[in-house]
Amino acid sequence: MKLYSLSILHKGATKSHLLKAAYDLSSFSFFQRSSVQEFMTFTSALIVERTSHGSRASVKEQEYLCHVYVRNDDLSAVVIADHEYPQRVCFTLLDKVLEEFSRQVDSIDWPSGNPDAINYKALDIHLAKYQNPREADAMTKVQAELDETKIILHNTMESLLERGEKLDDLVAKSEHLGNQSKAFYKTARKQN
Amino acid sequence: EVAVLVQRVVRDISNAFKKNPNIDEIGIIPCPEPRYNRSPIVLIETKLGLESWCVKFLLPSLHRKLLLYRQRKNYLDREALVDVTVTLLLLNPDFTTAWNIRKELLQCGVLNPEKDLYLGKLALTRFPKSPETWIHRRWVLLQILQQCYAQKGCRKEQGEGYLCHTEATGSSQNLCTHQAKLLHQEMTVCSEAAGRYPSNYNAWSHRIWVLQHIAKDNVEVFLEEFSSMRLWVSMHVSDHSGFHYRQFLLQALLTALCKAPQSTAATTLHQQGITTTSQSDTRAAFGLNESSKEWQPGIVTIPQLFDLEMEFCSELIHSFPGHETLWCHRRQVVFLWYQW
Amino acid sequence: MKDVVIKPDAPNALILDKHADYIAAYGSKRDDYEYTLSEYLRMSGIYWGLTVMDLMSQLPRMNCEEITEFIKSCQHECGGISASIGHDPHLLYTLSAVQILTLYDNVQAVDVDKVVEYIKALQQEDGSFAGDKWGEIDTRFSFCAVATLALLGKLDAIDVNKAIEFVLSCMNFDGGFGCRPGSESHAGQIYCCTGFLSLTGQLHRVNADLLGWWLCERQLPSGGLNGRPEKLPDVCYSWWVLASLKIIGRIHWIDKAKLRAFILACQDEETGGFADRPGDMVDPFHTLFGVAGLSLLGEEQVKPVNPVLCMPEDVLRRIGLEPDLLN
Ligand SMILES: CC(C)=CCC/C(C)=C/CC/C(C)=C/CC/C(C)=C/COP(=O)(O)OP(=O)(O)O
Repeated sequence: MKLYSLSILHKGATKSHLLKAAYDLSSFSFFQRSSVQEFMTFTSALIVERTSHGSRASVKEQEYLCHVYVRNDDLSAVVIADHEYPQRVCFTLLDKVLEEFSRQVDSIDWPSGNPDAINYKALDIHLAKYQNPREADAMTKVQAELDETKIILHNTMESLLERGEKLDDLVAKSEHLGNQSKAFYKTARKQN
Repeated sequence: EVAVLVQRVVRDISNAFKKNPNIDEIGIIPCPEPRYNRSPIVLIETKLGLESWCVKFLLPSLHRKLLLYRQRKNYLDREALVDVTVTLLLLNPDFTTAWNIRKELLQCGVLNPEKDLYLGKLALTRFPKSPETWIHRRWVLLQILQQCYAQKGCRKEQGEGYLCHTEATGSSQNLCTHQAKLLHQEMTVCSEAAGRYPSNYNAWSHRIWVLQHIAKDNVEVFLEEFSSMRLWVSMHVSDHSGFHYRQFLLQALLTALCKAPQSTAATTLHQQGITTTSQSDTRAAFGLNESSKEWQPGIVTIPQLFDLEMEFCSELIHSFPGHETLWCHRRQVVFLWYQW
Repeated sequence: MKDVVIKPDAPNALILDKHADYIAAYGSKRDDYEYTLSEYLRMSGIYWGLTVMDLMSQLPRMNCEEITEFIKSCQHECGGISASIGHDPHLLYTLSAVQILTLYDNVQAVDVDKVVEYIKALQQEDGSFAGDKWGEIDTRFSFCAVATLALLGKLDAIDVNKAIEFVLSCMNFDGGFGCRPGSESHAGQIYCCTGFLSLTGQLHRVNADLLGWWLCERQLPSGGLNGRPEKLPDVCYSWWVLASLKIIGRIHWIDKAKLRAFILACQDEETGGFADRPGDMVDPFHTLFGVAGLSLLGEEQVKPVNPVLCMPEDVLRRIGLEPDLLN
């Protein structure tokens, strides 16, 4: 089981933007890592944009599961995991980092912040520690406020999109994805 | 023009390996167009990348070259053969005949077996389940083992039995250094391939083959494997192949314990002369940490082995609900217990 | 649970003409990079294509002379047959070649005695078979050896009893079989081993209820079958699992309607052909096993297929071969 990325984002009126992120891409082949990282950032931002305030959701995308929590105060977090990693622990982790982040970083800085400017260093440590959920001490504590039945489950990324909207178009249009990543996206999709 | 390009790429790849013998991964860099006058070979630290645009020129051309050679319609000297097969196999490692040509080169001493294990290891970084790569690997390992037996006068044992008590001499010191090194290397290659593709049948069955051929009857090696698998399987709870490997180890350990002189519940690892100098070593041998509550000081008996495994299994089922693999594991452990 | 979701607009009718066109056109893409990549298994590729064409009663569309000449030029001095010209001989491709020639009722096109000699020489002391002269052992090769010999009517050329003992030594506690003693059970290997035991008249030695149970557990909520626990469903496993169930007389233990819906959803309505899973790229391998799977499920638009040899029943009737099945 594996956690690949953990990101904190701010949900703006139409767009969302990244405040801080940590990645563990060691299981990807070396020459794919930068593209994979760009895609994880792209996907995290898209999911936050398409998730409403005060809700939790899990989105399946091929062999990945993206878990998102968007708080009512616009602060949001996404963790990208594989299918083995327990969902419950992911949401515990999201709650915990958002809680900690909002204590350490002034909310004035959220709407305009970016990864270089924000001073919050614990993300890498959390990502590393939670790789083994049994060690993370989160297995036995079911959080009282987390009602698992309220987590929305999307079976594909497509189900987040609006009518007529296509993932391929969003990828092609994205300014955050480099050419190499776009080429990677085309070859990685065995689907026709 | 294509021929010039192909020759250049093959040369660049072979030079890259000469200059940097520590290359540990190969990959394709998505890049639909060539960049003017730049080699499509990229070396970053220990990673060798090939730009994707050149693959469709490179592969058919080298493929044709090698097959013409095989039909004696075209001559290639030994050095060219080595270089062509390297590039081809890194691109298409299931091309059986290319591996066979290397087997022939190995037999006449042009290649050394370690180099071929290395080539296979690199191919597996891109194609972790490639059956022909694993098959070639076993052939090369047998060549090395035969050499090793010949040199050291080691006894080559017949049959493919699991470890058995009467022959359990019990310590990895009894493996010659070369064998111990090989064993370690193969375990690492298998682990990496298992990490790259879940439930990788070929990687895990290779691992079993290696134990059966290199560590035959060596209980200490089996114990070490059993212990190191504990963390791995608990982090890969849907990997049926990984759990099957653990079941294989458990069964082998039971067989060893059962063949003990007083083959009863009191049989202990101590009596086998296979344990461990201290309590914490024994505990570690089962991958337990110091605070595991079920630990009783002293000896490990067969019932204890079952108890520990059942408790481990229950814990995993509880922590990670809904995994068929965990229930299959439980089925097998209960079956072994019942049988015992 | 690891599975796929079948979309409501997925294909749900069998489009045979498209599949025949797809296979007929496949061989003409010879300069393709992809075609070069798969040359190492060409003989099996041709077997997949011809068999599915025959099941659809479209075999005359393929070029019999050209293929026969090709096979002849793949037989080597040692008697073994290779995947393609200039490649090395192997049991896998020797079986495919003999299967193709049996479809064409023309096994005499190759030197049959030498084929038999080749296979005989690959049997080991313990009864197992090496795939070629380099010595890799696998129950797949035990199957290839006896299937080829059975098609040639020469099963007595090898030590059948020893061969049986080896295959049985690969049986696991779950009733399944792996590639070697101690190896994990795998649906593909189970097909090879049950097929082997059928051809050698030893089906009574499998625990059919236990194995049948394991095989049925391969069916997922989507209706598709996987090859091992917690793997994704794949059309080729509809063959490996279903054929094994048929051989051991337990095919009625799975949900046929759901499996049929899964297989049909793996068709590509535009290009023809079947993919491993809905929406993926099609290939001849999955096209054969999709159609053959439907045949085992009772599809009337295709010929009945034999579960042991994956060839049309009428072809086997012609040569008088009727492998055992449990009932
Ligand atoms: C006459 C016919 C139809 C076949 C000839 C006989 C043969 C060669 C059958 C092959 C059966 C087969 C598929 C065996 C399995 C081989 C194997 C152990 C594959 C390993 O699986 P992975 O590479 O891990 O892939 P999966 O993820 O699909 O399990």
